[in-house]
Amino acid sequence: MSNPGTHSSRDRSSPIRGASSRGLVLGVAALLLSVLSFLAACTMGPFHVPLSTVWDVLTGAHGVDDTARVVVLDIRLSRAVLAWLAGAVLAVAGAAYQGVLRNPLADPFTLGVSSGGAFGAAIAIHIGLTGSLLAGSGLTALPLAALAGSLCALLVVLMLGRLAGPFRRETLVLAGIVVTTFLSACIAFVKSLDEEAVSAIVFWIMGSFQGRGWAHVLLFAPYAAIGTAVVFLLSKELDILALGDTQASQLGVNVDRSRMLLLFGASFAAAAAVAVSGIIGFVGLVVPHLVRLAIGGAHRPLLAVSALVGGLLLLWSDVLARIVLPGGAELPVGVVTALFGGPFFCVLLARRARRENA
Amino acid sequence: MTRYFCVFAALLCLLLPLSASAQVSITDDAGDAVTLDAPAARVISLYGAFNEIIAAMDLTDRLVARTRADELPPEITALPSIGTHMRPNVELILGLRPDLVFQMAGRRAAAGEAVAALRAKGITVTVFDIHTFNGLFSAITRMGVLLGAEGKAGELISSMQSRLDAVTQAIGTVPHRPSVFFEVRYPNLLAVGRGSMVNDVIRAAAGANCVDSPRKLVRLNEEELLRLDPDVYVVQQGPMNPDPLPPSERPHFRTLAAVQSGHIYTVDEQLFSRPGPRSVDAVEELAAALYPHLFDNTGEKP
Repeated sequence: MSNPGTHSSRDRSSPIRGASSRGLVLGVAALLLSVLSFLAACTMGPFHVPLSTVWDVLTGAHGVDDTARVVVLDIRLSRAVLAWLAGAVLAVAGAAYQGVLRNPLADPFTLGVSSGGAFGAAIAIHIGLTGSLLAGSGLTALPLAALAGSLCALLVVLMLGRLAGPFRRETLVLAGIVVTTFLSACIAFVKSLDEEAVSAIVFWIMGSFQGRGWAHVLLFAPYAAIGTAVVFLLSKELDILALGDTQASQLGVNVDRSRMLLLFGASFAAAAAVAVSGIIGFVGLVVPHLVRLAIGGAHRPLLAVSALVGGLLLLWSDVLARIVLPGGAELPVGVVTALFGGPFFCVLLARRARRENA
Repeated sequence: MTRYFCVFAALLCLLLPLSASAQVSITDDAGDAVTLDAPAARVISLYGAFNEIIAAMDLTDRLVARTRADELPPEITALPSIGTHMRPNVELILGLRPDLVFQMAGRRAAAGEAVAALRAKGITVTVFDIHTFNGLFSAITRMGVLLGAEGKAGELISSMQSRLDAVTQAIGTVPHRPSVFFEVRYPNLLAVGRGSMVNDVIRAAAGANCVDSPRKLVRLNEEELLRLDPDVYVVQQGPMNPDPLPPSERPHFRTLAAVQSGHIYTVDEQLFSRPGPRSVDAVEELAAALYPHLFDNTGEKP
């Protein structure tokens, strides 16, 4: 992270203004691309729907075939919306985590949200909580169990982090690792109890939007909105926290409280994403890095542009997951993001190393 | 020395016909030759369907153990459990001194590892891989050989075959075979492909599996299901699908022909997915669902 406090204001004005105008350009571009991508996603899939029919469905024309309507609105569009929102939330949460923990390797799952969700889901699958919860919505107890698991794990991690006295970033990251490892063992235990459910649990953990619909969007939206709103409201504090605790306190920021609020908000939103989609890696890790390279580290534009780029990335990953295999089979979307994200992250690291050595 | 040798050779010659007369051997579905000096008296099946076949041949007293989930035939629950189909406990099996262990071939490596571990300890293991009625009959025949009960095996096969023929005759020639979708699991929709026993059950009940894939299990997305639009939707309920949401309540399913016409049937997973004597019951049940005008409500032949 560059420290903007070391330059005089005149030197600083041009790169900062350059960065912010770049952020604006990038943000507007990502927004336009997102709208186009929603339209494009509606036209792609194994069920053949002519473009004119897609347009008729989207514009609400009468006399459209009912099956085409279900395919375009209830399957393709709802998944595109859910994937975009989940991607946006994961990228925002990742940026917030990286800022608060001042650790480039932090991602939305650093504090055990993912393994908590996976454990909740594994228990739900093992007990067989796949029956209907709300008639006709297709919503089951599974995402709620995952959400409960995520939030419990998060609370345990935060409590462990507090046990050791005042806030220490390393303690919190360690607590996250311990809880994640312990819960992974618990998941393995459930798997070995229940051979029949192993593949269902494994598939859930790999992350997928298969079979999700508008009900999941509605379930996810409030949690995601609350979590991301908290993060956005504290974006100035994120900038100040980057200066270090002493300086931040001198500037009148309640360091402990804003840090807790930020972590909680980001985790809350990430937990909701895990609940509806399983564990989708790399989006929360890679997107903030990428955006930071493009527009710099000021958090308000960083968060906004990260959200747009993360949404785009996950939307297209899900489209690929839907159409890449022949015969209507699906890839888990978490596999797609990992296949792209892994090599991409290596390139980012190499570039960063080159820049720092230059 | 030579005299000893002659005596020994003479004894050997006396013994040979004895052992040869009792010796039984077959080739299993993994291509391995399985030879026993005498028909097996102590048998363990690592897959429930084999217990049902053995019980149908009236040889339940040969079974010395069961896997954890086995409940059929009922008297089997008194036997000790030796773990699961995928992860049988080698130590427990060794302790029961079986002459023969039956295993069903699995897609996953775990089942194969279990076989290798048992063979390494000197236990005879026979692996069958069944996904059609012909394969089932062939496996029953070979089980009959290894258990010294070819007659019983033949009776079982002919009684099953005659019931299958009765279903085929009752249906007769049909102009259009209804297309059938068989759900293995939901959510994360999993269907049966051509490589599953269920596929042959559907065929024997004069239906047509609408999923055209050589695999045993196929993962599909909802859109593909809408494209296939089957006439009949069958949901299995059991360990793989403990509490399936009724298809009529699923958000993406409402336009399916099977949902709108109400041609949705819930069936017992173990009855349909396990290749065994009861696979014929499955055929009769499905035929009665596909052709209700030809069978009365009990699924029995009129």
